[in-house]
Amino acid sequence: MKTPPPSASTALLQGTLDVLILKVLALEPLHGLGISRRIAQVSGNTFQVKPGSLFPALHRMEEAGWLSSSWGESENTRRAKFYRLTKAGTRQLKQETDQWARISAAMASALEMS
Amino acid sequence: MWHRLRALWRNLAHKQVVEDDLAQELDSYQTMLVDEKSRAGMDPGAALRSARLEMEGREQIKENVRDVRLGVAIDTFFSELRQSLRGLRRSKDLTILCSIMLALGIGATTVVFSIFYAALIQPLPFRDSDRLVELHESRLRRGIDHAAFSEANFWDVRAQNHSFKEVAALHYDEANLTGDGPAEKVTDRSVTVNFFRTLGVSPVLGRDFTGSDDQNGFNNSVVILGNKFWRTRFGADPKIIGKTLRLNDRACIVVGVLPPGEPWISDQVYQPFGYRADANRESWEYSVIGRLAPGVSLGAAQADLTRVAAMLAKAYPGADQGIGFALSPASNWIASNNARRALWVLVGAVSFLLLIACLNMANLLLARGTARQREIAVRIALGAGRARLIRFVMMESLLLSLFGTLLGLALADATLRGLQAMAVQGIPRLAEATLNPWVLGFSVLIAILTGVLSGIAPALQTPASGTANAMRDSDHQTGSREQNRLRGVLVAAEVAISFLLLVGAGLLIRSFTELMNVNRGFQTENRLVFSVSMPESYYQNGAGKQFVDRFFQRLSALPQVIAAGAVSSRPIEGADTGMNIVAVPANNNGSRMSALSGPPPWAGWRIISPDYFSAIGLPLLRGRAFNERDKPVWTEHGQPVPRRRVVISQHLAKLLFGNQDAVGKRVALWGNSSLDAEVIGVVADSRERGPAHSPTLTVYLPYGRNAPVSEFVLHTRGNPLALAPTVRAIVAKLDPNLPVADVRSFEEVVDRSLSPQRFNVILLSSFGGLALLLATTGIYGVLAYSMNRRTAEIGLRIALGATRANILGIVLRQGMRPAFAGVLLGALGAWWLSRYLATLLFGIKPFDVFTYVAVAALLLATALIACLLPGRRAMHIDPAVALRTE
Repeated sequence: MKTPPPSASTALLQGTLDVLILKVLALEPLHGLGISRRIAQVSGNTFQVKPGSLFPALHRMEEAGWLSSSWGESENTRRAKFYRLTKAGTRQLKQETDQWARISAAMASALEMS
Repeated sequence: MWHRLRALWRNLAHKQVVEDDLAQELDSYQTMLVDEKSRAGMDPGAALRSARLEMEGREQIKENVRDVRLGVAIDTFFSELRQSLRGLRRSKDLTILCSIMLALGIGATTVVFSIFYAALIQPLPFRDSDRLVELHESRLRRGIDHAAFSEANFWDVRAQNHSFKEVAALHYDEANLTGDGPAEKVTDRSVTVNFFRTLGVSPVLGRDFTGSDDQNGFNNSVVILGNKFWRTRFGADPKIIGKTLRLNDRACIVVGVLPPGEPWISDQVYQPFGYRADANRESWEYSVIGRLAPGVSLGAAQADLTRVAAMLAKAYPGADQGIGFALSPASNWIASNNARRALWVLVGAVSFLLLIACLNMANLLLARGTARQREIAVRIALGAGRARLIRFVMMESLLLSLFGTLLGLALADATLRGLQAMAVQGIPRLAEATLNPWVLGFSVLIAILTGVLSGIAPALQTPASGTANAMRDSDHQTGSREQNRLRGVLVAAEVAISFLLLVGAGLLIRSFTELMNVNRGFQTENRLVFSVSMPESYYQNGAGKQFVDRFFQRLSALPQVIAAGAVSSRPIEGADTGMNIVAVPANNNGSRMSALSGPPPWAGWRIISPDYFSAIGLPLLRGRAFNERDKPVWTEHGQPVPRRRVVISQHLAKLLFGNQDAVGKRVALWGNSSLDAEVIGVVADSRERGPAHSPTLTVYLPYGRNAPVSEFVLHTRGNPLALAPTVRAIVAKLDPNLPVADVRSFEEVVDRSLSPQRFNVILLSSFGGLALLLATTGIYGVLAYSMNRRTAEIGLRIALGATRANILGIVLRQGMRPAFAGVLLGALGAWWLSRYLATLLFGIKPFDVFTYVAVAALLLATALIACLLPGRRAMHIDPAVALRTE
């Protein structure tokens, strides 16, 4: 099964997806599609999260204890599974945000030098 | 952490709930996606199609989620296990074939390893055995590096050394056990009281010898029993301590029972002996062991003993001239160097066999893998990753190796029991070889290795690309040619390794036949040997001689007996008593013996009855044999010094007297000029120590009132063993107190002495035979499979005018190519490896052209037969039918 080569707009850095999911869930609980749309929205359509990578990430993070899930009703009265951040998830978000800040600062200075 | 455990539990125990939840979540996602698209203005049908497309295949998403779940490894393991089992059940033939192949391989490996473990790894049953050594006397200038101790030298070493905590000695004796039941000959070891203490062995029952035990007179003798003897003879009687046994008509009180184990402590009866001021310094009879003092290294002990040796050589220039001492650590006690080498060769051989079994299984799995391309393609379509596919194939081969191992262990257990029941001689501690945890662990390791090894090739050929390609009819894949080449290589490897094994087996067989055909000196056909042992008192009062004479009278009256003789120590199995022997210059004409320049030779001595030579078939070359008038060389108490006469063996005569006629010359026995004797005859050399050893130098002494013989040899008409009951009856009638023991045909004695060699031959031959069988099935399998696939092509060739000979040629070329390659490689490998066999061979060189040619011919001929069956089928392909199948 050949997958098309990832374009610049959809390529997510390893580990980016986790922090994005945590970030958007920090604001409010969302269901899968909602998360995907919100990520696209906040990243100015830079990141398009496909279900093939979204769901494994969600389930992994839930098992890690960062997220909890429950069935609820969507804005359009559809039954949907909502994910929310747990305390551990909030801690994780803080940690990863700090790390990203460090990395991006480092990258920025490295790129400016050249 | 708690969270994870709960998730793990849910994933494993409530799998269905989790799966349903996931399915609903995906449903909901899709529904909302359709909603979204509809709202954006798509018509419902288009929206659904578009949403589905965006979902990229629900099953693959599910797989991806499953792959990240906690416990996914455990879960998939069980599901794959189930699938593999189902698959194996579906192809029963293959499963059974592979299991049997691996069972043979793993069974053989396990047997060899358990023997190897018992012989070389299992620790000695002694405390701190790494501090134990055996001591030997040496006379390096005379080429003697490992001789027994003389008693006097033992006492001196014990007193003079500064490096041993304990030094103890053991002397081999036999005794007649009388009393309850028939008289029995038992091995009776005399040991110093500290012997078991030195070894670090405590009796399991009763007590060890103590300092006062060896100082008592005959009225309070004590014995310690060997464990096996205690069990077999006394039914493991727990109240044996304090009971009295009659050994050589002496009452002895049992004070202890030893634990089981080897060496040193496995004999029947042990009695203590103490210091004697008049101990003999000339006769080397004692085994000596020592326990190094704390902190003393082997090297330091050796240096210390060298100092003692120098002192002894100075103090006793006669007996101890050139004396030295050799130390051998306890690790050498169980297996001799040759036994070690043989075990390593067996380990190597069995590894090769296992390798062939792996190659063969890999080959079969490869063939099946091709047939299963479509199944695998379906799995890929359903979202199975490459890693998972490889796991799946591996699981199968691991399962097969598990079946094989279970079967193999049963096989190994049965084989071991069989070997132990046959009591194969010469394999160290064979009786103690069991499937103990170490061996089982090793087998499990081997099983895993086997599974992985035979799974690698099939696993790696799982298609990495193109489900669509694989979904198509599998028979026409482009990869198959490559795969065929791989299988050819596997077959070539099988043939090469079989070649190695067969050459090994062939060399051992050739060497064994040489061994069987070597000139032994004596004759073994139609000879009965048995021992009638007499207590020492019989040789003090002449009762022994009387008995032997009357016994000979009765024996020679039997029509089945051609000749009857007796000797002090039976050839091959008996103790090897020896002496220094020196030629005495003839004093009448003063001619000097120039042959005496070298050190005096060491020769075995045997006391014999007059008819011994004819009974054992040793030809007299010069002079005469003994007759009744020849008296023992030892002076009897209160009698005049006898005229000493001896018969010597041919090679000894040559060493002593060069080319002169030895008859009539004089020799000094035990290197002692006051013990001079006249040589009255020369007999042929014989291999006293067995066919595998060089002929020995021997001095024959006449028997008599004070010179005991206990081993009898009868030259019989017809089957010698048929005479055994008669012999027993005669002895019982003449003297019911004398036990008849070790009754064997002489053939059997020789056979037993060759038992280690025979064991190697049998094992290596069966490994070679199995290897040949496996390699043949390999060749056949590859060829039959490939001919099946090429049916259409061959049909076309025939249609285009190819003759049957052409077709056969094609098949043979394909089949014989790996066989030839394998034979070539195998010959090179065998040439390289056979050097390790050199020390195990007798009479032939490791590079024995005959063996190599024979093995090559055998392998190629079998390969040809394996080719002929598919070849015949190919020749009879009907082009019309073949082309229609296309």
